[in-house]
This record gives sequence, C-alpha cells and structure tokens, in this order.
Amino acid sequence: MSNPTGGETLATLDRQLAKFEDLLNIVAAFFILALMFFGAAQVISRKLLNYPLWGYIDIVEIGMVTFAFLAISSCQRLGGHIRMEILVRRLSGRSMWIFEFIGVVVALAIMLVLVWYAFDAFMRALQLGDSTIDRELVTWPSKMLVPFAFTVLIARLMLQIWGYWRLILHPDAKPIAVPLLADVIEQAQKEIKDTFGDDAPGPVQGGNS
Amino acid sequence: MDEYTIGLIGTGVLIFLVLFGVRVVYATAAIGFLGVVSIIGWPGAGINVGMIPYAKGSIYGLSVIPMFILIGFLAYHAGMTRALFDAAKKWIGWVPGGMAVATVFATAGFAAVSGASTATAAVFSRVAIPEMLKHGYDRRLAAGVVAAGGTLASLIPPSAILVIYAIIVEESVGRLLVAGFVPGVVSAIIYALIIIGMAWYNPALGRPITGFTWGERMKSVPGTFPVVFVICIIFFSMYAGWATPTEAGAVGSFVVFIMALMGGMKWHTLKEALHETAKLTVVIFSLIWGVIIYVRFMGFAELPAAFAEWVVALPFPPVVTMICILAFYVVLGMFMDAIGMLLLTLPVVYPAVIGLGYDPIWFGIIVVKMCEVCLITPPIGLNCYVVAGVRPDIPLQDIFKGITPFFICDLITLALFLAFPQIILWLPNTMLNN
Repeated sequence: MSNPTGGETLATLDRQLAKFEDLLNIVAAFFILALMFFGAAQVISRKLLNYPLWGYIDIVEIGMVTFAFLAISSCQRLGGHIRMEILVRRLSGRSMWIFEFIGVVVALAIMLVLVWYAFDAFMRALQLGDSTIDRELVTWPSKMLVPFAFTVLIARLMLQIWGYWRLILHPDAKPIAVPLLADVIEQAQKEIKDTFGDDAPGPVQGGNS
Repeated sequence: MDEYTIGLIGTGVLIFLVLFGVRVVYATAAIGFLGVVSIIGWPGAGINVGMIPYAKGSIYGLSVIPMFILIGFLAYHAGMTRALFDAAKKWIGWVPGGMAVATVFATAGFAAVSGASTATAAVFSRVAIPEMLKHGYDRRLAAGVVAAGGTLASLIPPSAILVIYAIIVEESVGRLLVAGFVPGVVSAIIYALIIIGMAWYNPALGRPITGFTWGERMKSVPGTFPVVFVICIIFFSMYAGWATPTEAGAVGSFVVFIMALMGGMKWHTLKEALHETAKLTVVIFSLIWGVIIYVRFMGFAELPAAFAEWVVALPFPPVVTMICILAFYVVLGMFMDAIGMLLLTLPVVYPAVIGLGYDPIWFGIIVVKMCEVCLITPPIGLNCYVVAGVRPDIPLQDIFKGITPFFICDLITLALFLAFPQIILWLPNTMLNN
C-alpha cells in the first residue's frame, strides 16, 4: 500500500537486520552441529583409543556461548521467546499495540543494563587475560559474544519499539517489523512442519494460517 | 522496607508483567535486577547480575540441551517409526484394541530417541492413524491414542525438559533422565491397559489384529535395532558412567543423523532442523539466565525460604498441599508453555516441596508429567491440534473426546506415583547407588 505511516524505512531496516540475524542463526546452528561431532569424537577417542581430547570441556564451554546467545535476536524477531498471551490475545487494535509496546520497552530497558555489564565482563577478561582452567584458553572472545548478541537484540528491540509506536499512531496500518500473535492452530502447523520438513501436509483444519 | 516485603512486591509485579504479555526472560531479568538493586544497591547489583548470562550460558551441563533437541528434529527423518510400529503391531496386535496398543508401545519406543511430544504425535498421526482406520478402528480412539502417546516423549529419555528441571534445581541430570524411564513405561502400560479394557468391553472400538506367524514377528525385530541402539547409547552410557549426558546426547544425535542421511534426508531439511534447534536452544538458554537473575533476587529477599516455611506450617497433610500444587500447575499449563511454566514457578515452589519432605527427583518427574497432561487438555492441548493438523479429516472435538480416557489414565498414573514414590525412585537409586 502507499504508505502514509512511514513504514518504508522501517521495513528496509527490518529486512537488513533480519539478514544479519539469520547469519548469526546459521553460526549458532553450525556450532550445534560441531558439538554433535565433537562430543561423538570425544567418546570414541576416549573409550576406543583411550585418548581423551585435551580440554574437551573447556572447548565446549567456550563454544556453547554461540548457540546460547547468537540467535537471541532472530528469535525476538519471530516472537519466539516464551510468554503468556492470555490477556494480550483478548485485546485488539490500539490497546493491544500499547501493551506490546510496553513489553518491548521493558525488554529494552533490561537489555541496556545487561549489555553494559556483559561488556564490562568482556573488558575485564581481556585486560586480565582470563583463561579456562584446563587448557588455558582465553575467555574474552567467548565473553565478547554476549554483549555482541545483546547489541543486535537491542537493535531489534528498537525497531520493534518503532514498529509498535507506528501501530499505536495508526492502528489499522499493516504491521511492519513486529511479530504477530500465532494462535494454537498456527503453532500446531509449525510443529508439524518442523517434524516433517518439506514432507509436511497442508494447513490444519479450520486453520487461519 | 524489609527484604521480604521487597521480594513480595517484586513477585507481584513479575506476575503482573507476565500476565500482560511481557516475555518471561525480560520480565524475570528486569524484576530480578531491580530487586537486587533495591536490596544491595546499584554497583553491587550490576556486577552480581551482569555476570549471570555468560555464567549460565557457558555451563557444560547445559550443552546437552541442543543435542536432545536436535535428536527430536532428526528422528522422523531417520525412518525408524514404521519399523517400530510394524514390530509392535506384529507382537502385540493380537490383544483387544491391538493396533492402538501397538501405537502406544511404538510411541514409547520413538520417545526413547526423541524428547519432543508434539513431534511424536505428528509422526504417529501419519504412521499409525491410517492403519488403525483401515482396520476399522474408532477414529476417536485412533486420534486420542496418538495424541496421548506423544506425551511419553518428555518422560522417557532423552528429555530436554528433565534436563532443564535438573539444572534449575541443581540436581543430577543423569539421575533425572534415568528416573524418567520407569514412569514413562508405567504410563505406557496404563494406556495399554485402558485400551484393552475399552476394546474388550466394546469390540467395535478396535478388533485384535491376528494371523502373524512367529517367523514374521522375528523378521520385524531387526528393524527396531537402530532404536534399541540409540536407547542403549543414551541410557547405559549415563549410568555406566562412560559418558556425560552431553556426550551421550552427541553420540545419540550423531547416530540418528547418520541414519537420517542414509534415509535420504535432504540438505534443506537438515538446515531447517539445525535452524529450529538453534532457535529453541536460545529460547531455553535465555529463559534460564533470565530466571536465574530472578532467583538471585529471591535469594537476597529470602522469599522462597519464607514461602517454604509457610507451606510446611499449613495445617494439612503434605499430600493435600502437593495435590493443590499439582492443580495449580494444571491451571497454569492451560495458559503457558511447559518450559516457561516450570522455570517461572520452580524457584518458589521447589523449596516448599522439598520442605514438605518430597524427593527432588520424584517431584521433577511428577511436574513434567503434569506438563504433559497439559499438552492433551483444553483449551490449548497442543498435541490434539497437531493430530488435527496431520489428519484434517478427524474433527478436533473428536480428538479431544478421544483423549478423555487417556487423561483419566494420567490422573491414575499421577495418583500411583504419589502413593508409591518408589516407582520413580527405584531405578535411579538402584542403578546410580544413591
């Protein structure tokens, strides 16, 4: 639609950030696959060859920060973080957008605090040369990922604040850069698709997806 | 204002925020942080709370979570479901309602390689329901047994939700996983018994499937070896002590991964499975550090201890209090995802339960079973919607009606676990020697 609500810039920024978030998601997914191979290799090496991989736990702890944090922003974009929707679901129009807006403002406020202290922890690790106990791997690259992932999340939250603010001003505008509520039928459809992949059947009966 | 009052106000505000749709990770982290600030002051609170996300995001024990999730996403593509169902049908199809009973045991077998209830329900909607309908089985029974059978996945290892419980309450992940095995099997047996009873009373529900020779039965066994192999790896590695849960999960997912590749899994499917695993993993990790920040606040406010003291001092027998707690979970489970519900409530509920004298491992299994009951009860009952999604020809109301006997079974099972905690505790206490 021709957009008097100022959505074009928001949509462009949303798309650009989404590309970056997807890239981070791929990195997280890669590390999960790597952990699978690494864990299997550790068991085989230790049990069959009697040769445990040196610093296995250190490496896992350093590496797991990738899948613990990097996909946090893409998950926020898709509305994946768990919440209770019973009351929000009963709202519509401007009142719903106001509650969504407040929720994201709360999120932004706490993430600004946490990114500050996560960055502080990273700087301390860098300056002190903090390392793991066994293999003495430096921890700062791993600690750096936390403020990095939180910064991307903050960018996403700011876009969502913009998106919700726009909808508060123009409740009938097409939602941009904000996740929409999925009903239980849509959730079920997603579970089915996740299970069967390309082999999934069509939409759920009575579904509105 | 004393710390206890701050704790109460903080918890009240947290409930308000969660009710109004603030995502649990942000609500718990924000209230936790503000609470700690108000008790110990800003600089100390910042350092104290600021280190939690990294500290929790790099705990080795939590690295098992993506492994178990990945197994769940790959399990269908490993192509073991039909072999399981075929073997179960040939070995136990002769009992009244035999196909439905076979479905229960096949879902239990699949649950041993997948920790995802909804995925198990989806897979068997496709594999078992058509065969049951072809043999003239009542469609309510067919749909109900698949939706209920799916719930076995969260009890029988591997189970991500049991790992999360173990981490939050600081119990042994291995013990929890081992403890889930017998209750899962008991649940399956009770499901089977009710089906046999119903089909014996009303043969029109589902007739026995007979005519298989011993040769055919024996031939169906090798197809189940991959499942048995994965079960052995995950289960025995942990209590034989030759692998950590993460390592066992890694080897299990590696085997399932290879089988999925051999079964013709496409690159696109693998990519999607990894993407979804990454998303679900970050959701769980975020919840964990968010809730731990709130737990830190609760620790400073000494609220869980006070709540536990209050609960213990109630003039009722502990079992009555426990039933009230379980009823509370049923109500909460109607409105919230199981993992969120557990993480949000355990910091306060768990010390009270322990104060009442209940075993932490026992309570873990009970509470996870409660979460599973919520997967088949209205208004959400996600498993029922999943079955309806795969089988659009079966109306949703029929599925909810079909689930009723299994819901009653679950209540009986829970009562059994309450009356005889040894059903849950026997295996971990025996195998892991306390």
